[in-house]
Amino acid sequence: MENAFKWLDERLGLNEIYAEVLDRQVPKVNWWFTLGSASLFLAIMQGVTGIFLTIYYVPSPDHAYDSINYIMNGVQFGWLIRGIHHWGASLLVVTVFIHLLRVFFYGAYKYPREFTWVTGVVLFLLTLGMGFTGYLLPWNQRSFWATMVGTEIAGTAPGVGGFILRVLRGGTDLSAVTLARFFSMHIWILPAVAMLTVGTHLYLVIRLGISHIPGEDE
Amino acid sequence: MNEEQKKAYKKKYKEAKQEGVRFWPHIIYKDLLMSFAIFLLLVGLATFVGIPLEPKADPSDSSYIPRPEWYFLFLFEFLKFIPGQLEWVGTVVIPGLAIVALFLLPFYDKSQVRFWKKRKIGISIMGVIVLAMVGLTVRAVATTPEMEETTVASSVREQVVQGEDLYSVHCVECHGPDGEGGEIQGVEGLEGVTVKSISSRDEMYTRSDETLAAITNYGQQDLGMPPYGLAYGGPLTKAEIEAIVAFMRYTWDDRIELPPEAVIATLPAWEEGFVPSYEVEISRIVKRNCFSCHRPGKDDNNNYLMGSYEEILTTGDNVENNLIPGDLNSYVYQTITGNPILDPDTGEVLIHQMPLTKLMKEDYIKMFEAWILNDMPETVEEAEALMATPTPTPEPTTEEATEEPATEPTITPEG
Repeated sequence: MENAFKWLDERLGLNEIYAEVLDRQVPKVNWWFTLGSASLFLAIMQGVTGIFLTIYYVPSPDHAYDSINYIMNGVQFGWLIRGIHHWGASLLVVTVFIHLLRVFFYGAYKYPREFTWVTGVVLFLLTLGMGFTGYLLPWNQRSFWATMVGTEIAGTAPGVGGFILRVLRGGTDLSAVTLARFFSMHIWILPAVAMLTVGTHLYLVIRLGISHIPGEDE
Repeated sequence: MNEEQKKAYKKKYKEAKQEGVRFWPHIIYKDLLMSFAIFLLLVGLATFVGIPLEPKADPSDSSYIPRPEWYFLFLFEFLKFIPGQLEWVGTVVIPGLAIVALFLLPFYDKSQVRFWKKRKIGISIMGVIVLAMVGLTVRAVATTPEMEETTVASSVREQVVQGEDLYSVHCVECHGPDGEGGEIQGVEGLEGVTVKSISSRDEMYTRSDETLAAITNYGQQDLGMPPYGLAYGGPLTKAEIEAIVAFMRYTWDDRIELPPEAVIATLPAWEEGFVPSYEVEISRIVKRNCFSCHRPGKDDNNNYLMGSYEEILTTGDNVENNLIPGDLNSYVYQTITGNPILDPDTGEVLIHQMPLTKLMKEDYIKMFEAWILNDMPETVEEAEALMATPTPTPEPTTEEATEEPATEPTITPEG
């Protein structure tokens, strides 16, 4: 057992990782500082439940609604997986937003964490983007009309609005193409960007250390 | 920012670290506890709150009030305050500027002051923005009109039941209670038109669900059937049409069997001594055979509405004669047995036989007979109590008997 660990450590540098990532001295902080990791946890949950959902979900207007009905009624624990994904999305927006406010309140975006803040804002927008694209996928009345209005809003941009609207919808109407686009955005493009950004964000957090709670003289 | 400030910060941070804790296990412990609490919350929400049922997307149903996901509501509400021609300012410019301001925050706020009391302006601006977002969200929730309660069929059973209800209202007048068709009577513009059966094998085996839905949606306008889909100006949503198709398929297609949990009990055959109740037998018979015309918004039904127990006993121009406890001279019984009600003076037909085109099954008529003779019980319990006591024997009165021979043989059962 010990030999096996040694063998792995020699090649992977497990002890170094432990020393760099886990065994470090950090300032004393309060419960508000748990919201970053809570957001990460929720994001991972969204990823895991989302992957399970793609097993049965069919991204076409003819089958999307029924496939979700099947997930809810036919698949063992399908209701739980989708329930967690549904509520997790809302909760993630909440935790990310409060996390952002906490960073703002303690002035933690200042030197030397300016770039961490920028990646954080990207992650905040990505969360909203995931929410917006995921909302259409159940293909029910609520999601259809919300997306209709949402894409219309994007279409009001002066000059380029019509272009943006057509790109989002894949045509002038909200159709099967729109659903395919939103699905692809939701499960491939945005998560890929989010993973890269989360990686950068975490690297910076570990490299620079968690900010401390500023005292009255700071 | 100069090197000195950087140095000062690093010194402070070092001090804070020295008074601090080890990341593992202190911070990790708190993080795990928080994540675990969130996990429990998620499972609780998924289990006890669930996800609201929504009908399937229906591009033709533009009456639907669009509601974005709750975290976009504030933006939605904010746009209501922007005058129409400046819409793009609210939709693009302001949110765009807000996002840019958020991104660039560390680059224009370069002061090294971190304690909140010393950053009153910044904290106040952010506070006002957050409060406005919360306020707008609350306002949006409060001012959004309640959605009309739409029934969403989540199982085959619910879908078939919903389909039967809709069929009873929209289709029975022309297609008959069992899709048998025949000559249409009492429908404006289609009087006397003969409709083929839509419940036959010929029909069921050769029409796919999509075809049936398309026919209901668009109608058969050259043949006289109006469109029923919202897309063509009819009253039904896509989900409702699909429910009707499911009802037709599962009721009339003998190749298809309902999944056991979805089977709706069929009415039992009539047996001597049985006392039907309104809530189980009569309401179902009425729904399929009478309600299509005897409902609000329909003409030529003498204002007799048959949607509920209450209505069936207390509405109509002939309310005192429609259902008389224990009396088979009741108009309802007379008309469903093929005896029109005549004006005693002129001999003119006041009320035709019911249903107009074809009398109901013998069993159904027997049900009505027993129901009326037992003073029209509403609930199963009442009916069962009556079953213990013997059924009273009918006593035809002489007054009514004189009218009966005047009945014209207009009845042509089975077309």
